[in-house]
This record gives sequence, structure tokens and C-alpha cells, in this order.
Amino acid sequence: MKCESCGKKPATVHMTEIAGKKKEERHLCDECAQSLGGSSIPKLLTPADILSSLLKQVAPELEEMQKTVCPVCGLSYLEFRSGGRLGCANDYVAFKKGLTPLLERIHGGSQHVGKMPSQVAEPVAAKASEMTQLRKELDKAVAHEEFEKAAELRDRIKALIGKSDGNK
Amino acid sequence: MEINELCHKTGEWLRGTGPESDIVISTRIRLARNVAHFPFLTRVKPEQKQEIEAYLRERVMRVGIDENLLYVNLADTEPVDRLFLVERHLISREHADGDGQRGVAFGRNEVVSLMVNEEDHLRIQVLRSGLELRETWERINHVDDLLATQVNYAFSSRFGYLTACPTNAGTGLRASVMLHLPALSMARQIEKVFNAVGRLNLVVRGLYGEGTQASGDLYQISNQVTLGKSETDILKTIESVIPRITSYERMARKHLVEENRAQIEDRVWRSYGMLRTARTISSEETLHLLSQVRMGVNLGLIDNVKMKTVNELFILTLPAHLQKMQGRELDPDERNVVRASFVRSRLGV
Repeated sequence: MKCESCGKKPATVHMTEIAGKKKEERHLCDECAQSLGGSSIPKLLTPADILSSLLKQVAPELEEMQKTVCPVCGLSYLEFRSGGRLGCANDYVAFKKGLTPLLERIHGGSQHVGKMPSQVAEPVAAKASEMTQLRKELDKAVAHEEFEKAAELRDRIKALIGKSDGNK
Repeated sequence: MEINELCHKTGEWLRGTGPESDIVISTRIRLARNVAHFPFLTRVKPEQKQEIEAYLRERVMRVGIDENLLYVNLADTEPVDRLFLVERHLISREHADGDGQRGVAFGRNEVVSLMVNEEDHLRIQVLRSGLELRETWERINHVDDLLATQVNYAFSSRFGYLTACPTNAGTGLRASVMLHLPALSMARQIEKVFNAVGRLNLVVRGLYGEGTQASGDLYQISNQVTLGKSETDILKTIESVIPRITSYERMARKHLVEENRAQIEDRVWRSYGMLRTARTISSEETLHLLSQVRMGVNLGLIDNVKMKTVNELFILTLPAHLQKMQGRELDPDERNVVRASFVRSRLGV
């Protein structure tokens, strides 16, 4: 049915006004409904709006994280959320913003308080601090979405680990 | 093939002794670990999976975990043998049914087992008879420390041990206690267990079967939370609830015997009689009857059979075990006949 106000667009807003015993039906298109109804008509939501608002409630971090991809394994945050599984250790860095509230929801906490590996398999302390430095830079590169740089750093870290394995 | 050697004996955890073993069958702890410089198994290419398996297999076998460590390459193993390992609680169903290069190492007494390339690169498990959370933790902690000298674990001081599924991150620890609760089942009071456990972030589930009515009246209580609590705290939580549940079960058993002794005795002896005389019997029925007999042995109502025998029968009558014993594949009907015959022989008929 066509809008009873402009007669052009299809009527998508169907209102029934009840005042005492009087009942009045009106059929308007969304434009006319907005202009005629003023504040009494709630702002109409598109399906995309509804989905977006639902997502905000269910997974508030999703909006921010939509485009995030781990530079080391290539897994995207969205892929992770739909599959439930992470792709590599670096995901815990790359997806930290989304993972932290998620872990809070799952475990009631996100800060580890248990044991640590008893012995780091890399023997040299200097190597460990170089590793820490590289990892810090990798974190930064990921945060700034400098993924090429991040991949480079990842390769350097891999090389460091590879070297220490060869020494055993 | 060494798996066949396991056929006629059972793991140490079934010996039926150990603390609270009238109700607590076993204690199990597992740790999830990943190697730092490989992707998790979700994003790994087949060649990488082989690399990881070789890397871990080598280190697991040489680090001195157990004097008689046996490694089984599951990709090279027949389905019946894989199911056999599942039945013995050495690997998970998922690991048996998985794909690609993967394996398991375990000691000959089946206390320690290490799955390679299951959901995480490494899953360490220790399984003991009775209620033994402390001792089990000490053993598995030691194995974990030994491996840490050879393997770069994926670990962050923020999120702990890093796992493929966030539900395992942090300590990577899952502790479970297996309980036999026939009296609570009979009195339809299993709800009490679910209630006791509910508020503590612990999970109860039937070991076989679904829903609240578990086959064989076997239930498993495990922790759900792995991050934000220390390993000892997680174990303390489970430890704190077990005494309440065992006392519920003991009270229920006592009540049954005091109020309905003749009926309980009848139930127990009928079950025993059925096991000794049936010519064909399903797995489901066997579990049920064994559960009654086990309770009877605990209550001193029946002494013709040893606890160890009853515990073992829970495992030895399972499908893969029967087929390995016979040395060939059996369809369900044949299995039911073999099962009945095996049970009769074990019960001295």
C-alpha cells in the first residue's frame, strides 16, 4: 500500500492511535512518518543498526577489533571469534584488546597468577633481554599496524630461537 | 607392536586402592602447553605439524620422564588400537579421531601420558587411583619442569601459558576427580552434587552416558577456570568440595543398607548373578551391573569378588579391548557374546 501522505513511496510505518474509544489508523512511508510525526515517532532503525547495537552489547570489543589481523599467523580477530580458536602465541599480543575482556568473562580474571616455566630453554641472559626488546618492538609495530615491520621482527625472533636450539 | 602387551593388564589407576577409593575411583590432572616458535595447531600446515611432532617426540622421549616410556605414532595406528588407547584414558577421543602427524607417549604403568598435537602441541596427563590431588600435582609439575628445560613454552607473564583455546589459558590446568555414586543415583539425589559444585566454578558430568543419569553411576568433577587463579588454588577448590560429596554418598549408602538391607543385597547379588550367567550382554548393561556389584563390595555385602577385578572389568569389557583380546574385528552382536564370556571367566565361572 502507498503512503497516504505523499502517495508515492510504499507505506512502511503503520500507526494505530487510540484516544479513548476512538481508533485511528495511519499508513505512512518512513520519510513522511518522520516529518509528520516529529518526536512521537521513534527513530527508525535499519537492520544494520540493530545488528551493530546488539554486537556492541554482546561483544563490545568487536567493533574496534574488526580489522585486526595477526601479522605472524595471519588469523583475523573475526575468524578467531567465529572459530573459537587462536592461531599462534602472538595472537595474545595482537588481539589483546579483545582478548582481555573475553578472558575476564570466561575465567573471571585475565592476569595469570600461577607458575612460570621453570627454566627458559635459551641459556644466555643477554639473548633473553634482546628477545624481550624485540618482542616489545613487535608489540608496538602491531599496535601501530606496521605489519611489515612486525613480520620482520617476528623473523628475527624466530632466528634467535632457532639459534639457541642449535646450541643444545 | 607394544600396544598389544597392554591388553591383559590394566593401568595403575584401576588398582582400586588409594585414599577414599570406596567412592573416588581416580584423580586426573592435565596441563596444556604449546611450543613458542610454532603456530598453534589451528593455523599449522601439514609439514609444520610433522616438524612439531618430531620436535616434541624427540624431547619427550629423552628428558627422563619415566623409565619405560612408550611412544605411539597415532597417524600410523589402526582405528581399533586408537580406540583402545581412548578406553584406557591415555588419549582423548578427539586425538584418536584427529588427522595429521600426532602421537602419544606413556609409561608402561599408565600413570603419565603425553599427547602430541591434540588441541595444543602438548597435553601432559597424570592419572592416579583414589583421591590424590597433591601427589598427582607434584608428579605432573615435575614432568612439566623437566620438559621446560628442553622446550620453549609459549608463555606470557600477562596471560600465562598460551593455548589454542582461551578457555585453557593461564595455568592450562584441568583437574578431575572420578566418583562412583550408586547410592545417590539410586536415591535420586545426584542433584545434591550438582548444587554443591555449582557455585565453585566446577563442572560435573557423567563419564558415560548423557544428562544426569550416568551409566555405571560414574561422575567426573573438574575445574572450569584456568586463568586468574594459581594451580594450588584451583586444586584447593576441588579438594574442598570432595569431602562433602563423599559424605553424601556414604550417608546414602548407609541409609540404603539400614532401611532396605534385604533389597540392596538382592540388587547386588542379582547383578552379580547376571554377570556370572549371561550368555550375551551389552556394554550399557555391563556398566550398570558392575556398578551395583562395586557398591556391594564396598558395603561388605559381597566378598566373592575383588575390587580390582570389578574396576578392571569396567575397562576390559569395552569394545576395542574385546576386539584386541580376540585378535579380530567384531560386530556388536559378536561383541556382546564375547563380553559375556569374558566376564564369566573373570568372575571364576
